[in-house]
Amino acid sequence: MTRRLRDIARKVGRPLYVNRRLVNYYWERTRRNKLAVVGLAFILFLILLGAVGPFFTLDPTLVDFEQKNLPPVGFTTLKSVYDIETDELATSEVRGIWTHPLGTDSKGRDMLAMIVSGARVSLLVGLIASGIAIVLGTIVGVLSAYLGGWADNVMMRFTDIMMTFPFFLLLVLIVFIFGPRLVFIVLAIGLTGWTGTARLVRSESLSLRTREFVMAARAMGASDGRIIFRHLVPNVVSLIIVIATLSIPGVILAEAALSFIGLGDPTVASWGIILEAGQHSLDTAWWVAVEPGIMLFLTVLAFNFLGDGLRDAFDPKSNI
Amino acid sequence: MNAMSNVILKITNLKTHFFTRRGVVKAVDGVDFELRRGECLCLVGESGCGKTVTALSILGLIDSPPGRIVDGEVRYDNLDLVKCSARQLRQIRGKEIAMVFQEAQSALNPVLTVGDQIIEQMKIHLPMEHREARNRALSLLEEMGVPSVERVMSSYPHQLSGGMKQRALIAMSLTCDPQILIADEPTTAVDVTIKAQILDIFRDLKAKRQMSLVFITHDLAVVAEIGDRAVVIYGGKNIESAPVSEIIGSPKHPYTAGLIGCLPDISQTTDRLASIPGNTPSPIDLPQGCSFHPRCSKVMEVCSQREPAQIAISQEHQVSCHLNQ
Repeated sequence: MTRRLRDIARKVGRPLYVNRRLVNYYWERTRRNKLAVVGLAFILFLILLGAVGPFFTLDPTLVDFEQKNLPPVGFTTLKSVYDIETDELATSEVRGIWTHPLGTDSKGRDMLAMIVSGARVSLLVGLIASGIAIVLGTIVGVLSAYLGGWADNVMMRFTDIMMTFPFFLLLVLIVFIFGPRLVFIVLAIGLTGWTGTARLVRSESLSLRTREFVMAARAMGASDGRIIFRHLVPNVVSLIIVIATLSIPGVILAEAALSFIGLGDPTVASWGIILEAGQHSLDTAWWVAVEPGIMLFLTVLAFNFLGDGLRDAFDPKSNI
Repeated sequence: MNAMSNVILKITNLKTHFFTRRGVVKAVDGVDFELRRGECLCLVGESGCGKTVTALSILGLIDSPPGRIVDGEVRYDNLDLVKCSARQLRQIRGKEIAMVFQEAQSALNPVLTVGDQIIEQMKIHLPMEHREARNRALSLLEEMGVPSVERVMSSYPHQLSGGMKQRALIAMSLTCDPQILIADEPTTAVDVTIKAQILDIFRDLKAKRQMSLVFITHDLAVVAEIGDRAVVIYGGKNIESAPVSEIIGSPKHPYTAGLIGCLPDISQTTDRLASIPGNTPSPIDLPQGCSFHPRCSKVMEVCSQREPAQIAISQEHQVSCHLNQ
């Protein structure tokens, strides 16, 4: 089964993987969009950060109450300590130190280490959940378009129902039932997020299935499955790449939002979890909430820029 | 005469109708012909006369809805293809009866290499190792007269010329050594020099492989070039069938005669080319009686009233026209 899947994946991805000229062509077109290139650079940086960053930072789980609530380097903050002997609040100024360049949280954990390990979590959540959603959406969309008739009707009406159902409530419900485990959160996002993909892939496949090469494949005795996986899916790969790029930020935000309202996995320091922890200490340590917030903002922006650029590059009708 | 035992494909009273909102489109409305082993049978007619739908009906490739084969029989090898299950048909398509489509550009998948597509077709029907399939693909392309086969194998359709693509398409249809090859206007979308080369390929297939060909075309020059017998189709019916020499030499139906009259003669200087007045009738409402009568130069009263029956002028020559009754 896995071998069969791998075989399909290899065949489906092959056109772009093998065809260097086509890849170069799309790269040339994408490159003309400066924002897309900046977005791509930032995403590559994030991936690198997530992959090797944790080896260079402090342990993100290391608690040190001596060093709690340190501001980032270059910032100062006031710290009040209640002195039992004088029965007074002693206020002193605290400076950021280079041991903790981005400061520490209320338990004295290093913010830089947390942000870096959060990058890994958020990217994984984004990639895996989008992956699930894209695969599901592609299968539903292609099948729907190819089979047509009542099968198309059943699948598309189901998609409509999924779409009208408030996505976030569904997420909350799933997490509430199965518990706040990262695995379930990723699955929940993936299993609910495929509807848009299904619709887009369906509309693209509808025009593909009337093309003569599909008829030619049938005339050669190709089965439905062969036509779908060998002839239709490879033709929608470029569309899928664009959808994937544009859906990853949504997924990252969804996970962050779940964490923010307290339904995140507390054992994994995703940006959402850090953000949620930071909101309680906004008055004493604003950076705990602001730093993951900025990272989320930049990541989402980068994916959106790249997605826009890819969409224009893959669209043969756009003049760029 | 053992003409019957020689028949490999026999089509009797085939009727394929499309049920649309605007009415029933009788695209094919009673086509009869038989294909003999090793011959090249040409289906001749104008655009929209039902040639392609006939070919698609043989292979059961009519999309339903809206289309349906409402009547008739397609007999191949003791099987009636009209009544075959989808699975049986799939085993016949490509393996026993293969088809070459008109436009090579659109009949090839734009995102797969030509080699991949040929190998792919082989793997549908034959239990083959990749290497074996690849070697066979290479030799097929070579047989088609493709230069630098390796390069063509790894090219994408858009990187090849029209003639190359058509050759690749023919190679693809031959992967499983089919008994019958149906070619739907394979020379229409290529220019004249390529056309001659493509016709040569088909002639070779007939000579070397004893392949039985159904050649669909609107071009009588091509018919004269390659055909053994021809069936002229008009308004979804065959109106005349005969050996090619007779069709060209002594056509009995005014429409056939008209088609031949349309061919420009290089030895004569004329201002205007001859043509048949009017257009092919809409298959939604075919004219009463003989469907050709509104355009016929020899129209008689009976033509608009009664449909002419098919009569045999000789054993090999049938025509449906009141002139010959």
